[in-house]
Amino acid sequence: MNRTADRVLGLVLIVLAAGAAAWATRFNVPFSYDPLGPKAFPMGLALILAVLSLVLVIRPGANGEWPDRPMALKLGLVLAVLLVYALLFTRLGYPLTSLCAVTVLARLFAASWRKALVTGVAMTVVTYFLFTQALGIGLPEGRWLSAWF
Amino acid sequence: MFDFLIQGFEVALSPLNLGLALFGAILGTLFGALPGIGPINGIAILMPLAYTLGLPPESALIMLAAIYTGAEYGGRMSSILLNVPGDAGAVMTTLDGHPLAKQGLAGPALGLSAVSSFVGATIAIIGLTLFAPLLAEAAVQFGPAELFGLMVFAFASMSVMMGKDPIKTAIGAVIGVMIATIGVDSSTGVMRYTFGMAELQDGIDLVVMIIGLFAISEILLMLEHNMRGGGEGLPPLGRVFVSWKEIRRCRATMGRCGLLGFLVGILPGTGASVAGAVAYTTEKRISDKEGTFGTGDMRGLAAPEAANNASAAGSFVPMLTLGIPGSGTTAVLLGALMLYNIDPGPMLFSERPEVAGGLIASLYIGNLALLALNLPLAGLFARVLIVPRWVLVPAIALLAFVGVFQLHSNLAAIYLMLLIGVGGYLLRKLGFSLAPVILGFVLGGMMESNLRRALSISGGDLGILWQSGISIGLWIAAVALLVLPWLLPRVLRAWR
Repeated sequence: MNRTADRVLGLVLIVLAAGAAAWATRFNVPFSYDPLGPKAFPMGLALILAVLSLVLVIRPGANGEWPDRPMALKLGLVLAVLLVYALLFTRLGYPLTSLCAVTVLARLFAASWRKALVTGVAMTVVTYFLFTQALGIGLPEGRWLSAWF
Repeated sequence: MFDFLIQGFEVALSPLNLGLALFGAILGTLFGALPGIGPINGIAILMPLAYTLGLPPESALIMLAAIYTGAEYGGRMSSILLNVPGDAGAVMTTLDGHPLAKQGLAGPALGLSAVSSFVGATIAIIGLTLFAPLLAEAAVQFGPAELFGLMVFAFASMSVMMGKDPIKTAIGAVIGVMIATIGVDSSTGVMRYTFGMAELQDGIDLVVMIIGLFAISEILLMLEHNMRGGGEGLPPLGRVFVSWKEIRRCRATMGRCGLLGFLVGILPGTGASVAGAVAYTTEKRISDKEGTFGTGDMRGLAAPEAANNASAAGSFVPMLTLGIPGSGTTAVLLGALMLYNIDPGPMLFSERPEVAGGLIASLYIGNLALLALNLPLAGLFARVLIVPRWVLVPAIALLAFVGVFQLHSNLAAIYLMLLIGVGGYLLRKLGFSLAPVILGFVLGGMMESNLRRALSISGGDLGILWQSGISIGLWIAAVALLVLPWLLPRVLRAWR
């Protein structure tokens, strides 16, 4: 099994701990009511993290399989869909963005285009009315749509 | 002494709360049955919605707790029918549950596991009723130094009991605590690790953290599993029933494992997965005389099911009395209490008896309802197992987005959620379990503030941390927990 992943992780975490500790040295306050101040706890944590990570570097375990290239691409696509969904969520409104996001996500999870589109429409309509009518949640409407008609 | 329980039943039996408990029980069973949505995900996704509905805190808690206990019931379905645990607590259920289903005994297996779940949960709820008020009374005397010692103990027990790799569990917990230090330091006003961003000033919100860590990372993991085969059909269910003969045969198993699960559940940081594993191995040692465990022995099925449901109720003990979650899921429930500005801890029983008592009373009701639902409707619940992932995943995404968005009304929270989700995915791929991270995150703030409070009482003298008998005991227990698993086998070997 592959043990390099744990070694790399250990090293990354040590760097992270060092960075956190270095940043913590700058948590200066003119006056603190408690003797410990805001600095000590984060620095202690960084120290513990560094020690534990060192153990990981010295005695790495094996971990599971990593995604191959096509899978990594697909994971990236799912993330991209979620990110674009977030970007346009307030601008284009819930109904339109959700319709697109659900359809594309369903398609990425191996539904046929037809099924994906049906899922998209059904889920958007149902959740929209569930959230706004039954639960009284205010969703971004995308006012630009009504301006068109 | 049981005033709180009487008051609790008055709260829990109000039509609204009764309805919410039933609704939560049904929803929880569904969540537990759906592979990938365990109790944590279910509660995380619904918590913001429950909050927006403007439910009073006890009602919201009753619903969320019912989802938790329901999910422990539901988790067994895919374990038995598909050999895929519906959530972490149901891993051991596959060992004897699935062989039974393959022998065409799926119906009796589902029936018996529902009964064992009921018995285990009942034992633990009675334990909770008896034990929690006593512990709360004792815990009132805990000062900041004792509370700090308690959290050290919690982290020690978590590292030893949770997950396969103690180092990774500990690293996960430290990462969680470190994430909790982000934001403005409340006692001095210093910005810590905020990267100059205004959104990070108040720290990372618990809901964002939970939904990102669990729901978003789950979506990514499901994509991988989705491509790797799957999609096998359900085995024939048969009639879901239990015979008295089987119940009588598993009587002792259920009792033992229920008690064991309750005790494991009380230990901070150890949830249903540990309880199931401990119960199964113990029961195998005690009653597997013919070597039938693992081939479809009813007792091998009853053991983990009684234990994981018992541990769910048991993990409410430290949460309600000490403010320390007993499991990842109770960490999330603790977060729900905090949304309502309720300080969980020893005062909960005296100051908010309607919350503590209402919750405990609703567990009795929910448990009965779950048994009543799960025997006749098991076949119906099993249907959700064939819900395709391409329906499930977009639904999780929608709920996650809407939940986070309506709590914060800004997109920064959603971006943060996605970022945390990627982090959670990477951690899981690297062999971490996420429960320590969320426990560290929830406990971190309390840990630091109690440490600093203790030291300001003593004027900086660290000695205050081990001055009282209680704190000394907690430190010794913590050290013993860390050292014994390593030391004991060696000593025993030397002895021989």
